[in-house]
Amino acid sequence: MSRAQRAEQQNDSDWSLLERIVQKDESALAALYDRYSGLVFAEATRILRDSGAAEEVLQDLFYQIWRTAEKFDPARGSLPGWLLVAARNRSISRLRRRSSRDDEELTENSVVLPCNLETAAAQNQLLGRVKTILSGMPDGQREAIELAYFEGMTHSEIAEHLATPLGTVKTRIRSAVEILKQALA
Amino acid sequence: MTNGHPIRAEEFELFALGVFPGEERALIQAHIDSCPECARKLAEARGRIALLSLAAPQQSPPTLAKQRLLEKVRAEKSSTIAPVQVRETRPSAPWWNTIWAPAAVVLAIATIFLWISDRHLDQQLQQIQQATQIYQEQTQHAQALVNVLVAQDTVTVKLDATPAMPKARGSVKYNPRMGMMCYTADLPEPPPNMVYQMWAVPMTGNPVSAGIFMPAAAHNGQMLAKVPTGMDCKWFCVTVEPKGGKSAPTGPKVLVGTL
Repeated sequence: MSRAQRAEQQNDSDWSLLERIVQKDESALAALYDRYSGLVFAEATRILRDSGAAEEVLQDLFYQIWRTAEKFDPARGSLPGWLLVAARNRSISRLRRRSSRDDEELTENSVVLPCNLETAAAQNQLLGRVKTILSGMPDGQREAIELAYFEGMTHSEIAEHLATPLGTVKTRIRSAVEILKQALA
Repeated sequence: MTNGHPIRAEEFELFALGVFPGEERALIQAHIDSCPECARKLAEARGRIALLSLAAPQQSPPTLAKQRLLEKVRAEKSSTIAPVQVRETRPSAPWWNTIWAPAAVVLAIATIFLWISDRHLDQQLQQIQQATQIYQEQTQHAQALVNVLVAQDTVTVKLDATPAMPKARGSVKYNPRMGMMCYTADLPEPPPNMVYQMWAVPMTGNPVSAGIFMPAAAHNGQMLAKVPTGMDCKWFCVTVEPKGGKSAPTGPKVLVGTL
């Protein structure tokens, strides 16, 4: 592939890449992979703490996009949003040895991201922003929301894990979510 | 519950986070499946919560992962196209199919074997790279320790116990020219959610943190800290501080040593 072609692909929107994937264009899948594989792999590795298992999640997701790209509906949400949610669901399912409903996730879980992640610059900017938001939270709030997100724990499980009253855990998570919402508004 | 919806506006993020127990979750999910307004709110909440994934330490997938994905995709493409071509161009199976079929099976097995082997090697390579990095860090740490310990102008300060912890003891080796200090401390486990923090206190100005530590690490004599070069240190002390440490001493002093 020429440099000009590659540059053109980097500027393609997610949805134009998906249209080409529906036509079984491998280079479009490669471009989409280059765009989001880092985010997905980092998330899966953080949850599973196993780069081999994280790669399997990564491969499964992009292979699913290859096989069923026609099922994605731009009106229902964002592709990177779906990738991040699906990567989390599948990683936590593996972590907790639960069964996951991979094929149904594709059409059921619509996700609207509050921002565009199509460029590396946008991703880097948001990475910094999210880390700043989390580091600004009190330790207890950050710990609780991270246990919920990265370990897939419920309120009760977090309370048990931290040996903290259930009401305190609920308050901490609610406050952390409120901080996140306000910071991203 | 508000206006017939079993979920309040501020709870969509909590639902997306997955912290509700099973029964409550099932009830809300059943409503969302039939309520477009709540489904839209949940999609937006999922998006906000999904951004928490960006807090994960960033790392790139293995370099061969993309190649493996594209090989899988090509294999699928060829397997879906091949049967159509066979049906259109070859009405009856030729005699050489009896050779090709077993050969294809052998080839497929070999491909799978090579893929597994490649994947195994890739994991080994990652482990070696991680081990190398750890080794390099340990080597640098050890070299810095040696530099401080053998320098002619390094001074040793004995740390004395305080009434707060009468059996504690420790020592500091401090080199003002290098701005480095290493220390040992024999201390009991701190209270839950607390750590020990070492401070270098100058003649004038505020105490400078020389790191937080737990007893096991300090007991082995591995603690090394960087402090401002040429700082005119008057004394050193160890305090008990909340997990994560503090920017200035707040807790009780357990070890003190004067230069």
